[in-house]
Parts: sequence; structure tokens; C-alpha cells
Amino acid sequence: MKRIISIDIGSTWTKGASFVLESSTLKLEKKMVVPTTQSNLVQGFSEVLSGLLGQDKSTPLARLSGSAEIFFSSSAKGGLRISAIGLVPDLTLQLARLAAMSAGGKVIQSFSFSLTRSDVKELEKQRPDIVLFSGGTDGGNSKYILENALKLREAEIACPIVYAGNRAVADEVAEILREKEVIITENLMPEIGQVNIEPTREKIREIFLKRIVSGRGLSQIVEIFGTQPKPTPLAVFELISAIPVYHPAWSDVAAVDIGGATTDFYSNTESYLETDTVILKGLREPKVKRTVEGDLGLRVSAHSLFDTAKDYLEDRLKEFGLEMARLETFVARIARNTEYLPQTEEEILFDRVLAEACVYFSALRHIGGWKETFTPQGKVYVQTGKDLRRVKAIIGSGGYLSQEKSPEVMLYPLEKLKFYGEERKLLPENPEIFRDRDYLFPLLGNLVEKYPAEATAAALASLEKLS
Amino acid sequence: MKKDTIILGVIGSDCHSVGNKILELFFTSEGFQVVNLGVMVSQQEFVNAAIETNAKAILVSSLYGHGEIDCQGFRELCIEKGLDPIILYVGGNLVVGKTPFSVVEEKFKKMGFDRVFPPDVDLKKVAALLRQDIREKFGQEAVPEENQPGVALKKHPAAN
Repeated sequence: MKRIISIDIGSTWTKGASFVLESSTLKLEKKMVVPTTQSNLVQGFSEVLSGLLGQDKSTPLARLSGSAEIFFSSSAKGGLRISAIGLVPDLTLQLARLAAMSAGGKVIQSFSFSLTRSDVKELEKQRPDIVLFSGGTDGGNSKYILENALKLREAEIACPIVYAGNRAVADEVAEILREKEVIITENLMPEIGQVNIEPTREKIREIFLKRIVSGRGLSQIVEIFGTQPKPTPLAVFELISAIPVYHPAWSDVAAVDIGGATTDFYSNTESYLETDTVILKGLREPKVKRTVEGDLGLRVSAHSLFDTAKDYLEDRLKEFGLEMARLETFVARIARNTEYLPQTEEEILFDRVLAEACVYFSALRHIGGWKETFTPQGKVYVQTGKDLRRVKAIIGSGGYLSQEKSPEVMLYPLEKLKFYGEERKLLPENPEIFRDRDYLFPLLGNLVEKYPAEATAAALASLEKLS
Repeated sequence: MKKDTIILGVIGSDCHSVGNKILELFFTSEGFQVVNLGVMVSQQEFVNAAIETNAKAILVSSLYGHGEIDCQGFRELCIEKGLDPIILYVGGNLVVGKTPFSVVEEKFKKMGFDRVFPPDVDLKKVAALLRQDIREKFGQEAVPEENQPGVALKKHPAAN
């Protein structure tokens, strides 16, 4: 028997759980949540750890070690803030954004072609954690790349720059940017249509460990427990990646995590099935994909959600006989007081339609579509983006969806999304909806690297099918 | 020597894929770095691929008779996107009916295509012309920095 503890340091809450590992089964033993102290992340961590171990709160961290195996993750204030630079918007820039999000980052701005003076100003103003710099296939365009490298050299930015563009000028880029911290990695798109985001993901993860974590007291935890933290969304990404590997029955799966600040959408399914009548345009997206929407959230981002989803919300409120003006007041309140929980029937419904809107827009952006086109050879479908039709299960996680017992919060907005403009969206066909009922996904995600079979089995065991 | 990159594709709502695959095999065997975009390719997709790969030529195929409409404004788009010196070829069943080829050729040349080919052209000839055109426009050796697309090198007639 072995005790394993996993702790997730979120922006608002620090959550932890202890598990018992016995004959390759992980069993949840205890859970605990305390508020995160932003100035000192270790405080919440040690509080949760001592609580889970049944020790006094004031026990020094060093004395808590040794009794259990410890894993942890940190959301680093809602994820790493990444500025993405690419060449053509539909090609390298799109891949840069995808790589950033799949690494657990948040894309705060993106730039294509030449960086203009105002782009550079915007970059300096936003102070990203990482600049992801791509563009050109290997041996392809170098003009824009070198031009942008020169502009980055002059920019007042202190963060690391990850270069994942045309390999032919990688040395030159490194030379131009020698006074910055520049990390050269493999090209995101070595050839047109060839997707190679893994090396970039790995570099972003390394930077997360080295730079962002050490500044905030977490190095102490690393030192004492000899364990590296993960970015929270990456932990979930790894869990979603591993589930079908160890449980083939779950071969095509998606997950939605609605948080206070962001909505994350994960999918693990082949993105395109080649047939004579379906033609893929643009990039063939990776099998495991994460998108994160910084404007969709139930608390911190409630205002931007309201703005994005106005039409959806208006239609939906009418059906419930509720008023837009009152929802607006509610949104102002929850955005200000992010720990607020709905008190009345009406407020519960407000939260519900806001959650639906998060599902609707995160699915809209994550999932691809078909456009019907008539050609002299007959009718064909032009596919852009990822096909999720074969997804059999959608898992709801995060504070809201892990509590929600009705599948309608997911099914209703997805039904509405079937057609978008002249596009037929490639939504899961007849999916089953599950909830991560103890909100364990981020915590189990931390264990995937070392205990993939056990952690994925525990994740599936903690799901409840909704009907 | 570094291979010259060329972009291949069938334009518009045209799904004829067999010839396209043959062209890919042929030009690859002729020593070109071929980026094949397949069928139903839009002008924008051709241009995007050419920018990312720093291609020297775009070879547009059209077999279903709507080539004239599909190719309208192609050169202008290239110029708009900074691909001024790029070589544009077009070939296939470019128009419906029995228009003499010289008329078809004239039409597409006016649109800014450097060379126009009928369906029965000898591909060896096309490859030879392509090599010659690339040499003329870009020089024999690896292209120096300032000659890359994005910098106006030699103004195409359609730019004026």
C-alpha cells in the first residue's frame, strides 16, 4: 500500500486529494480545498498537505515529506500567457496558437506576417510569459522571419522567446536575438500541412518549470519533495491523451472544463476521415487537441462571456421567461464577487444559461465543419477543422460541470450548434454525457506520467453518466 | 544544390485528382520540391502555401471548364500578398467548347499567367521551361535574401 497525494494550486483555490494505491488500484481517500494566497503559493499547499496527512497546520513543510508520494500542479494565474507569432494566419499562426494551448498556455495575442510598430508596442504592453515565434516551412520563407527577429530584438521584452519556425534560418534568428533568452526548437510546420507541435509543447513546459514557478515560492516544494509541478491544463491534457491508450473502449472522447476565467475544450479523436466525398482544407489537426477560451468563464470572465454570447443568451432567456437586464446585473455581481454562489431560482438559471453559452462557444471554436459544395462530379463536402462525429463520450469537469447533474447543459447548446451559418458542424453524434463528480481530473492528471494505467482507471471510475 | 519549391493544385470546385497525382510524381522525379495542395484549392490557399514555403512557381490545374472564372485575379492576389516575382503556370481543359488554344492562351496570359498549357502538352517540355523560367527570374544559384518573394524584384506586367 502506498499513499499518493496530488495538489492543484489554482488561481482562487488550492485543491488536494489523497489516494491509496493498492494492487494497482487508486482509491480516493480524502479531499481538501483552501483559498490560494497569491503572494505565497506554498501557504495553501502546505495547509492542504498537512490536512490530507492529518497533521497540524503549523508543521513545517520539510517535516511533512517522506510519508507520501507527492504530485502537484499550478495554474500560474490562469495559465501561461503566450504571444503567438506566425506567418500566414491559416498556417503557421494557427499552429502556433494550437501548440500554445496544447501546452497549457493561454494565447493573449497573435500576429501574422510582419510585426508592425504597433504590434511591437502591444507586445511590450501585454508583457507575455512567453513569445512563441514561428513562420516558414523548413527551407521556406525567411524574409518575414528575419525581419520579425530584428523587430523582436528591438522590443522591450524580457520573457523567453521560443523559436519554432523555418529551420534554415534558426541560427541566424538565434544570433539576432542573442541578447534575449531565445530557445530554438523544431519547426511547427516543417512542410505545408505537416503538423509538428510536440517539440514546442515540450519547450513551453520546460519554461513553465524553470521560469514561472521558481519566482513564486514553488521552488521550495520542488526541493523538498523532489517533484516537478505541471501546468494544470497540461495535467488534464495528459489524462485525456492517456485514457484511450489504457482503456480502448474510450477511444473517442472529449472533455469540457468551465472555470471562472476560462473554458477549456479537449478532444481525443482522429481529426479527418478521408473519403471521396469529403475534402479537407487547411491543416489536419492533431488527434489530441486542447483549446482554451479566455473570454468564456463563469466568474472572472463573466463580462466578456456576456458580450460574446449576447444573442445566445437572449434567445435562451426568452424560453425561460427571464430578462436580459437582470442577467446583466447578475453578471456584474459575479464578476466582482467571484466566490458568489447563486441564491435564488432565477440566479441558478442564470448560471445555467451562462454555462450553456460557454459550451456553445468553446465547441464552436474547437470543432470543425462541413460546407456542401456542388461540383461537376457531384456533391462534395469541404471540411475545415476537426471532425468530432465519432466522439462517444463528453466529460464535464471544472467547478460547474462536475456538480451539474443534467446532461442538458451540454446537449442543449450542442443541438443548437448543429448548423452554423452554411456550415454543418462536426459535432459528436449521440454522445453520452458524464461528469467528473469529485472534480478529480486535474489531480489525477498529475499522476498520469508515473501511474498512467491507475490514474486513467481512477478517472473513469469517478465518472457519473448523466441522463 | 537546393531544390526549387513549386506549388501544385487543382483550382476551384474541381475534384479531378488523378492528373494532379501524376503531376506530383512527375515534377518530383524532375528534381523539384513539390508541395501538392490536391484538389479544390482556392487562390488564397495557393498563395498561403507559396508564402510559407518561399516557392518559385505555382502550377495551377483546371479540368472542368471553369478555369477562367477561378483564375480571375490570381496574379493580382499574388502581388497584393507580396509574391510579385512568382512564376504562374496554368494548364488543363481551361475553357468549355472548341475555343482555339491560341485564344485561350492569350486570355490567361492577359490575366498574368506566365505560361499556359493545353491538356496534351509534353510534361518534359513543361519541366524544361520551368527550369529556364526559374533561372531567368531568380538566377541560377541559391536565391539571395533580397530576391525572395515579398520584395519587388521584377515587376510583372500585370502590376502596372
